[in-house]
Amino acid sequence: MTQEADARTAPVAARVHLAHAVVQKLAEDRGIDLLHLKGPAVLPGLRAEGRQSSDVDVLVRPSHLPRLVTALESVGFEQRTDFATGSVFAHAANWWHDDWGWVDVHTSWPGVGVDAEVAFDVFARTRVQVPIAHWDCPVPDRTAQRLILVLHAARSGGTTDVDHAWTAADPGEQEDVRRLARELDAEVALAAGIGELDLHRHHPTYRLWRYFTEGGSRLDEWRARLAAAGTARARAELLGAALRVNRDHLRMELGRPPTREEVRARQRLRVRRATDELASRVRRR
Amino acid sequence: MTARYRIADDVAWVSEDGLDVGDVPTAYLARVPRGMPIMLEGSGCVVWLALAEGGTLEEVTAAAAAMSDADPDQISADVADLVDQLVVIGVVRED
Repeated sequence: MTQEADARTAPVAARVHLAHAVVQKLAEDRGIDLLHLKGPAVLPGLRAEGRQSSDVDVLVRPSHLPRLVTALESVGFEQRTDFATGSVFAHAANWWHDDWGWVDVHTSWPGVGVDAEVAFDVFARTRVQVPIAHWDCPVPDRTAQRLILVLHAARSGGTTDVDHAWTAADPGEQEDVRRLARELDAEVALAAGIGELDLHRHHPTYRLWRYFTEGGSRLDEWRARLAAAGTARARAELLGAALRVNRDHLRMELGRPPTREEVRARQRLRVRRATDELASRVRRR
Repeated sequence: MTARYRIADDVAWVSEDGLDVGDVPTAYLARVPRGMPIMLEGSGCVVWLALAEGGTLEEVTAAAAAMSDADPDQISADVADLVDQLVVIGVVRED
């Protein structure tokens, strides 16, 4: 009657649940402050039933990141993207484990404007415990989760999360979310998620959030990012990154580290695409 | 004194209740943070769910029998074997 077996082929949902527990145990052993986000960390009613996550998302106190990286790598996680290349917001990096799959480590949440360490304190001060794989994991409270899900939807598209996290909330709950957004300087991103972006037309990040919600070309994206960049130095870094090949993404696309020639070929393609896009805009005018 | 059995403190686990997959009762467990994932299917999962309540071997057997509509006497030897294996690999504690 016993069927004990190696479960490396476990369904994704099982792996994700267990992986949350793995990361939490690592955090507990090393005094690392983190919060579990999305997937099984979402409180009941805030997401469509039956929706499953394919990876683990955690928000770590930024000053604890080096300890978390050491902890993850001590049990076999390998870093696959870094913070500079992981996303537009440079807010997350990914680790992979053959048994546990992907872990996305966030040091900040896109759309939140206050300092990341301060933001973590705000999210953590009302945290609650949720058992994931029968392991107590700290997660943001209901109001913070509503905000997090709406901000994520604003950046990633899709309205399902907004339906559950915002539209279904009563006016008092929505006011709590707005108050939290004000404290976190996340009002523009919240507005983008709930269809009120035009109230912030003069904000430096308006075009960026309009790009995320309405789409556009790569050039539109970079113009929006430049407008949102606060300093000349930040703008210069962005311009450099715009034409640089993302080696992490190329590695994932190829399934192996890219050769120097492959990086060069992709570089040429990026420059050509940027040039073509610019030329087509000039022709349209 | 009669030994009591329970899931070890460093074990995370999830069963089909939390996963909504398939018809065969299945549990996935691991000693965290370093253990490999382990799968218990069918009656193995039933015994695991019985162990989640904790108890003596007789109590675990009775709980497993109740969950699977089986005769405790007919499954007691198999339950004892599985519990022994789970103790050996460290996912169940004998107090």
